[in-house]
Amino acid sequence: MTEIDLSKKVADRYLKREVLGEGTYGVVYKAIDTKTGQTVAIKKIRLGKQKEGVNFTALREIKLLKELKDPNIIELIDAFPHKGNLHLVFEFMETDLETVIRNTNIFLSPADIKSYMQMTLKGLAFCHKKWVLHRDMKPNNLLIGPHGQLKLADFGLARIFGSPDRKFTHQVFARWYRAPELLFGAKQYGAGVDVWAAGCIFAELLNRRPFLQGTSDIDQLGKIFAALGTATASQWPDLAYLPDYVEYQYVAAPPLRSLFPTASDDALDLLSKMLTYDPKARITAQQALEHRYFSSAPLPTEPDKLPRPAPKRVSKASDFNPQEGPTVFSPPRKSRRVMPEREGFEANAHRVDKIEDHAGEMKQTDGELAGRNEQVPMSVDFSIFASRPPSRPTINSADRSHLKRKLDLEFQHPE
Amino acid sequence: MAANFWTSSHYKQLLDQEEVDVVQPLDRDKGITLEDFKLIKMHMSNCMLSLSLSRCLVVLDISKLAQHVKVRQRVVATAVTYMRRFYIRKSMTEYDPHLVAPTCLYLASKAEESTVQARLLTFYIKKIYSDEKYRYEVKDILEMEMKILEALNYYLVVFHPYRSLVQFLHDAGMSDITMTHLSWGLVNDTYKMDLILVYPPHLIALACIYIATVYREKDNTAWFEELRVDMNVVKNISMEILDFYEGHRMVSEERINAAFSKLALKPETAR
Repeated sequence: MTEIDLSKKVADRYLKREVLGEGTYGVVYKAIDTKTGQTVAIKKIRLGKQKEGVNFTALREIKLLKELKDPNIIELIDAFPHKGNLHLVFEFMETDLETVIRNTNIFLSPADIKSYMQMTLKGLAFCHKKWVLHRDMKPNNLLIGPHGQLKLADFGLARIFGSPDRKFTHQVFARWYRAPELLFGAKQYGAGVDVWAAGCIFAELLNRRPFLQGTSDIDQLGKIFAALGTATASQWPDLAYLPDYVEYQYVAAPPLRSLFPTASDDALDLLSKMLTYDPKARITAQQALEHRYFSSAPLPTEPDKLPRPAPKRVSKASDFNPQEGPTVFSPPRKSRRVMPEREGFEANAHRVDKIEDHAGEMKQTDGELAGRNEQVPMSVDFSIFASRPPSRPTINSADRSHLKRKLDLEFQHPE
Repeated sequence: MAANFWTSSHYKQLLDQEEVDVVQPLDRDKGITLEDFKLIKMHMSNCMLSLSLSRCLVVLDISKLAQHVKVRQRVVATAVTYMRRFYIRKSMTEYDPHLVAPTCLYLASKAEESTVQARLLTFYIKKIYSDEKYRYEVKDILEMEMKILEALNYYLVVFHPYRSLVQFLHDAGMSDITMTHLSWGLVNDTYKMDLILVYPPHLIALACIYIATVYREKDNTAWFEELRVDMNVVKNISMEILDFYEGHRMVSEERINAAFSKLALKPETAR
């Protein structure tokens, strides 16, 4: 951690304050912009270990955020090099949607939920209009500003789409928010993957807990089918042609109402349209915004009237709990999603897999089904996790090495 | 069409020709003329284009290297655009083109999602530039990367004529091999000029198709007239391209070398 020197100005403009956390690719700290008086969050981008210059993920984020200016998308205010490191200046955001959902002291009315969903979909519709896929939609990446505005953040996995023949990696999104076509290995996909994730977030807002908490990709599909019924060819004609398609035992869908007892009919109708299996039939973000759910009573709450957690004391750093705390920008646990080391990543990734992977998750990226329904060995002691809710999966290490191969080595297979 | 050009930073950053044709004071002091400036940019673009996968164009005799660094056309086009944007704001005296060009290629490869490793690039630099003083190392590229990012004001998304070219040819029923090759090659050659900084890419594509149809003596007047574009602009671009080819005949290696030697008057100030 860098020492905090309050008198020190960075780049003659920013007054450095406390460190907010360790982000995906470096330290995030709070600062005052002396030019505007605005509070900002500065991400210091760590340079790659193996001398590969500006971090690939960071570069992506810069590239896309420079093109995306919208009230519901995090603003990249400035970027500057300082002592050999690149710094990105973002508007300061107080909290994130995950913190709101998890906070049991907060009551979310149907109008509040509607407001959060509307802002999420507005940001998403804007991205899609600009042909950008976010690919990492989850409550933790939906930041909430001082006036309650929700903004999409963390575009480190995002990319431009639009060429119909372009193949992408399917190893995107945290698993719980991954659309079925991705879980079945689709390489050509579109904006529907973000809409599915937004549907999962909608469900999470309604029930105040993650909707589909799979423990592996196979299990994730199992959870999806258990909740929404096994996908059939009549609902989704392309299903059987997906690369990793496996047949699941048929389960009929329970009434959606039974899963969301408190939701209105309009809410359930929109939810079912966002969680439609066939990506071609799935509602778009723009269509979702035009759904009657948003125009019927109760109307969405004004952002500045939305309930928010009380501001926490930042000084209580000793009270270490990586699962909670003011997750302002990229919270500590997201450091798990860093790009692996450049050097000898093959051997390295393998080692990391062995260390980090829980119960048989690692084999699935190879398309093997060895991990299917595998139980956690009893020798693994999970009791330390018992006191807190299960940690959200980020992209696991096996995914990461796969992703890295796709991202960094694509030049070996030019299209 | 991926992303919307009309709302992009690329569109907002389009310049007038006069804004592009500016020789930086430091370079001017060395006697670099606008002509020299253009020649150097052209030469460096050639070097980069020769690394691309394009089979339509053989520029320099470094095809052996091109087989090692297989860079997508799009990456090279983006790199050339970065370099041209860079030199609108920075002088060649302070920023050696021999380092800026490969660094642009490196940055573009990342921005276009098909990374080329920096150490591979330094390897090719050594092969391409025979002169000792241009032998840059990985750390030079990485330092320059940051400076280029800053000079570009972190705007990295660039649109190119290729995609619209293919669509237009298809729409006009001219997507046969010879027409595609000819017009694609023409588009490649436009990166030896500053057109990409001045005109919307789809108009550059149309100009190339226009030249190709004229060259192949095809009559596509009706198709062009149906398009809702300003044909005067298309014709102007076409004229600029033809003028370039005309002037290109006079370009000799000596003239390029002369321009570089003016730049190298004080070699220690490079980078």
